[in-house]
Amino acid sequence: MANGICVYAESYNGELETVAAELVSAAKGLAETTKEKVQAIVLSDHAEELVKELDKLGVDEIYAVKADHDITLQDDAVSAAIAEMLKKIEPSAVLVPATPQGRSIFSRVAMRLGCGMTADCTEVLAAQREDGSFYIKQNKPSYGENVFVTILTKEGIYPQMMTVRPGVYAACEAKESGNANVKFFDDIKIEKSGVEILEELPAENTTDSILGAEVVVVGGRGVLEDDNFELLEKFAEKVGGAIGGTRPMVDSEMIPFNHQIGQTGLTIRPKICISFGVSGAIQHTEGIKDTNLYVAVNTDENAAIFGVADYGIQADLKEILENYLTL
Amino acid sequence: MNIAVLIKQVPVSNDVSVDPETHALVRASSEGMINPADLNAIEEAMQLKEQTDGKVVVFTMGPPDAEKALRDAMALGCDESCLITDRAVAGGDTVATAKVLAKAIQLYGEFDLILGGALSADGATGQVAAMVAEELNLPHVVEIQSVKYKEDQAGKVEVVKKMHDTSFRIACATPAVLSVNFGCNEPRLATLRSKRAAKSKPLVTYTNAELGFAAEEVGIKGSPTVTVDSFQPETKKSAKMLTGTPAELAKQLYDLIEEEKGK
Ligand SMILES: Cc1cc2nc3c(=O)[nH]c(=O)nc-3n(C[C@H](O)[C@H](O)[C@H](O)COP(=O)(O)OP(=O)(O)OC[C@H]3O[C@@H](n4cnc5c(N)ncnc54)[C@H](O)[C@@H]3O)c2cc1C
Ligand SMILES: Cc1cc2nc3c(=O)[nH]c(=O)nc-3n(C[C@H](O)[C@H](O)[C@H](O)COP(=O)(O)OP(=O)(O)OC[C@H]3O[C@@H](n4cnc5c(N)ncnc54)[C@H](O)[C@@H]3O)c2cc1C
Repeated sequence: MANGICVYAESYNGELETVAAELVSAAKGLAETTKEKVQAIVLSDHAEELVKELDKLGVDEIYAVKADHDITLQDDAVSAAIAEMLKKIEPSAVLVPATPQGRSIFSRVAMRLGCGMTADCTEVLAAQREDGSFYIKQNKPSYGENVFVTILTKEGIYPQMMTVRPGVYAACEAKESGNANVKFFDDIKIEKSGVEILEELPAENTTDSILGAEVVVVGGRGVLEDDNFELLEKFAEKVGGAIGGTRPMVDSEMIPFNHQIGQTGLTIRPKICISFGVSGAIQHTEGIKDTNLYVAVNTDENAAIFGVADYGIQADLKEILENYLTL
Repeated sequence: MNIAVLIKQVPVSNDVSVDPETHALVRASSEGMINPADLNAIEEAMQLKEQTDGKVVVFTMGPPDAEKALRDAMALGCDESCLITDRAVAGGDTVATAKVLAKAIQLYGEFDLILGGALSADGATGQVAAMVAEELNLPHVVEIQSVKYKEDQAGKVEVVKKMHDTSFRIACATPAVLSVNFGCNEPRLATLRSKRAAKSKPLVTYTNAELGFAAEEVGIKGSPTVTVDSFQPETKKSAKMLTGTPAELAKQLYDLIEEEKGK
């Protein structure tokens, strides 16, 4: 019988990713209803240290595979090992971070196990069937209009596998120590991969600036006209904010992809968020959480953004920016 | 180097709604275009082909009118194309889709590389490429910036991928599946001449008669996941609208920001 809500504990360079603690929170929430154990799996050449870190998050069971080399990007081999682990653990659900690594590895696992995978969930809810068995409602924004869809793994198929967006669940707090049951699968080996890293070149670190920023200024399609973007840059400088944007801003190459906010971009939690010329599509607004102050400027009084922001300014963004810059 | 490129026809605009009964997308217009990232995949394929010889074959699974996407791709220089169309394979999730794409590629011939886009503009799961790789038992790298063939490294390609604010230079054994990021190169444009030439390039159509899946293996039936509901998010609040002249509004915005910063 499939049992347990299992979290993939993503790590990089021997460090647990913050999203692991977020997913443990989500798993605990589900397990409260389903009364299952919360489990975590980890594979790394630093497995022992990672197990200690994971234990502090208060999970019930930890399953680990030790690698004898760095397995970054060796997703063909890693996914095969994870599939073997899951066959032994038999969890009812697996929560995977919706990150490049999570997606890449678990797409293969989902294919291998035939269980499928729901992508980019923003909410996972435990629900009960008439026969008393539990299942998970996997909710996510849909395409186009502002609706969400609920996706289910068909009855009888296990594990229910889903990726969960980083930033939607608050990370659970680490304690001094934990008392999880730890099992190392020494019989599971990570086979040779077709992928080999030749070189790591530092790339410009531009994402952190926006993830950590207390003030984020968001530009939307309305900023693409005239010299509006220049005004926006001056405004951002004046308020000491980082610049993020909507998809059209990225598509038109005004801002780099790693500054896109929303479902297929970043989730941010700034104290202050001010958006200019953004309509408020759900795929975008899903990426902005927990702001103390959210002001939107838009010429259209019916823009959806006015249903999300705290304050609305119905006006031409150019005029507001020009006036602001004189203050 | 023989290269297969997976392309998806996506709606031209976001102008779609969700059918309340089936929860499937209802498109306001049937007009489709090649998924933007797939144009970048085609461009990478064309550059490899120019360097190594061989052919580029584009594949798409979709309704019969997805033929247009294939013709467009051939107008960009792809040599041959394969349309996979059958009611039996329609409406599948990523697992069911990848199964069909993998089978069609195998049936068509041998390839050194299979390229796709990193993300589609509509479903946007980013799962299909790695799933195709799993089904074909090949290594994969997703979300890449570029792929190069080096004469002295037979049986491998060199790939650049950005992750964790680091740029990785990676060797990947071929055959392999790679998915290409949107915007990683400048896709070439079709010319009148290349459009005309595309009309007479080969287009093979596979239905399930050729693929030979059992009905419960593919499409909606063969999908392990199912969409059961669509719902409007609760509107949490409505913004307090500020009023005044632009100058007054700017001042109010200033005060709000300064007040919040001072907290
Ligand atoms: C699967 C999927 C994933 C997606 N992921 C993302 C994502 O991660 N992030 C994202 O942002 N989008 C995403 N999108 C796209 C999203 O659905 C919207 O299309 C997008 O957010 C709209 O951007 P926008 O608000 O800038 O543009 P628009 O919707 O075109 O809105 C522009 C707004 O600016 C206003 N405006 C114009 N001129 C002015 C002016 N002078 N002054 C004031 N206001 C003005 C207009 O009234 C309008 O409301 C995704 C879509 C799909 C289907
Ligand atoms: C709103 C919505 C949400 C969905 N959510 C999920 C989900 O969570 N999980 C799930 O399993 N399915 C989901 N689906 C179904 C999924 O979109 C389809 O299976 C789709 O056919 C392929 O997935 P994708 O568009 O996400 O592809 P992606 O993986 O984003 O596409 C990447 C690349 O794969 C190739 N490719 C994809 N489809 C084709 C094709 N038909 N022909 C040729 N090449 C192709 C292209 O190169 C493309 O650029 C969803 C569909 C919708 C409309």
